[in-house]
Parts: sequence; C-alpha cells; structure tokens
Amino acid sequence: MPKVEYQRLTRSRPRGGFSVAVASRTSLWLGTDHLLFVDSNGYTETYKRFYFRDIQALMVHRTQTFTIVNIVFSIPIVLFLASALATHTTGLKIFLFCMAGFFAFIVLINLWRGQTCRSFLRTAVQTEQLPPLSRVRRVQKTFNRIRPLIVAAQGGELTPEMIASLIREQIQTSAPESEGISQNPGIPPRLDS
Amino acid sequence: MNSLVQCPKCHATLLEGMFNQPELLPCPACNVPLLVEIFPSLFRKITPGQSGESLMVEGESSCFFHPQKKALLPCDSCGRFLCALCDCQLNGQHFCPACLETGKTKGKIKNLENQRTLYDGIALSLAVYPLLIFYFTLITAPMTLFVAIRFWRSPLSIVRPGKIRFVVAIILALLQIAGWVMIFIFLSTRHSSHPHAQS
Repeated sequence: MPKVEYQRLTRSRPRGGFSVAVASRTSLWLGTDHLLFVDSNGYTETYKRFYFRDIQALMVHRTQTFTIVNIVFSIPIVLFLASALATHTTGLKIFLFCMAGFFAFIVLINLWRGQTCRSFLRTAVQTEQLPPLSRVRRVQKTFNRIRPLIVAAQGGELTPEMIASLIREQIQTSAPESEGISQNPGIPPRLDS
Repeated sequence: MNSLVQCPKCHATLLEGMFNQPELLPCPACNVPLLVEIFPSLFRKITPGQSGESLMVEGESSCFFHPQKKALLPCDSCGRFLCALCDCQLNGQHFCPACLETGKTKGKIKNLENQRTLYDGIALSLAVYPLLIFYFTLITAPMTLFVAIRFWRSPLSIVRPGKIRFVVAIILALLQIAGWVMIFIFLSTRHSSHPHAQS
C-alpha cells in the first residue's frame, strides 16, 4: 500500500467538556481523497475518515463563547484597573496594572481569534462534530481549502437553481409517503370522505 | 436517509435560501447565525446492494463463498472468485470479506485502520513525568529504554510518523540512568573514604 501523507488543517484542540480532564485532543488533517479526524490522548490515537465523495454537508453555527469570554475576562480588568487607580502604593499599583494587563491580553487574543462556532460534517450515516473548527475565521479558511476537493470528487458544484429544484423534488417525494401513514403513531390517519 | 438538512442547533428543517451562501445567515427558527454548504452527494440515491446472479451455465466460474452464484471478479488480495454479494470495494480495489477483516485486524489495509497505540508517547511520558518525583526515575528510566527499544519498529502515528519522541525519550532515560550511576558512585566513594564514621 502506498504511504499516505497528510497535511495539517487545524492544530490540536481539546474536545471540550470532561475530555479536558483526560487530555483528549482532536485535530483535522487533509489526505489525498479524504479528511482525517484524529482524536488523541497522547497514548492512543483514534481515526475517522471522511471521504470527499461521501460528504453531504458542512454546517457551522455561531456560539456565545466568544461573547462570554470577553465579558468574563473584562470584569477583572475593570476591577484591577479601578483598584490600581484607587491605591497610592506604587508597588501595589504596578502589580494591579500588570494583572489588568494580563487579563486584557487574554481578551485581545480572544478578539483577534474571532467569533467562536461549532462545526459539523454530515455524511449518509452520521453527523460528526468537528471540535478543531471552533473559530469562524478558521472554519472559512478550511472550507475554502477543502471545498474544491469535495466538488471535484462529486463531479460538480450545486448552483442555487439546482438546490431549489432538488429540495422541492425531495419534499414532493417524501410527501406522498406520509399521506397514508401518520408520522405520529399517537394520531390516527386522516380519512378523506 | 433524509436529504433535508436541519439546523444543527434547533433541528428545524432548512430551506433553499440557507445553503451555499458566502456569509452566516440566521436560522429561520432559532435565529442562530448559520453557514451551511451542501454537495451533490446529499441528493444521491443509495443504490441497493446486489445479491449476485445464480449460475445458469455449467462450467461457469462460481463464487468461492457461494457456489451457486456466478463469480464476477477475483479478490485483489487472495485471488478467490467473488460474486456481487461478496465483493467489498475499497478505494478502487475489490476484497473478499475475509481479506477485508484480516486487512483491518492486521493493519495491512491502512485505510481501515482506526486506532493506533503511540508507543513513542508512552516512552516519552515514562521519561518525563517521573522527573516530578526523581526517585521514580530509578525504575522508569530502564522501563523507558525497554519500551523505546522493544517498540522501535512498531507503527506510530499516521499523521506524525517520525521517531523524534523515541529519540528524546531515550536521551532522557540515559541521562537519568547516568545520574543514578553517579549518585551511587558518589555514595559508595563517600562511604569508603569515611570508614571512621561507622566505628
């Protein structure tokens, strides 16, 4: 088998939640005909491959983490600055300004990195969250990089007209199936007189 | 599989104006800014699997696993004849179920490999973490060398195949062993140079 080489798409990031405690980190890599999602705890690595021809959709929704981090870390800045201005001791003033500067640095980093988001990749059998794609700017860069590869693997891009007609067709195809059988088992089917 | 795409937050069905837009648009149900890109495979119908044709003509090749079915092609790994039911396609190659399973368990088919043990990470951890309590290195330093030598040729990370971690672990372990040797030499020479301390 030929040796597969991968290009890094994202840095390793924690999966989030309790995985931070077990040091589980995830990253996304670009292969020749697939994306490789790597989940590593330092001692074992688990791989998931998403072939370009199988990717149905890429979805991103913005989260509030960006705003929350800015607010949470701005509060100590205000408190330290106020304390620094109120105190007359030079050493303490310097210390408090340094503490305010430290938290301001964190806020600046957060602002520079941009809006936070959650990303998902959908195939025919699963919708997988991609924790490494947690900033909108990074997501757009990554999507711009893999979009041509997915389009090439699937034989072309969808134009807005094609999307509209396919969705209408899909809705019409699924509608007759539900006429005879109620989707809610608790509700009896409607009988036409 | 339903081709309709749902909002990943509120699971409301999204309609045509939401897809393949350059900017984030609010979900019509929950107003969360969304970016959704869809591709042709979303609307691709899943073709049903084939069960294989029955043998009609005597003398025709039959499947190795289903003697009543007509063979279509050989397995690319073992050469056994396969019917349409037994043919497992992977990256343009055709395998029988047995070779596919063997390829996965023995790691011969790299694209089926979904887990690896990082022996270099284990060796590096054995070399680094015990430094917090140095006395542990008396045991962990030889263990580090054992792990590094024993698993030197084992497959490592698919994405980071280099042996730099092994090399660093070996160097650290050797330094720790050298440190212990010096400690023992120092203690023994001090003991022998001050015999009066005992009497």
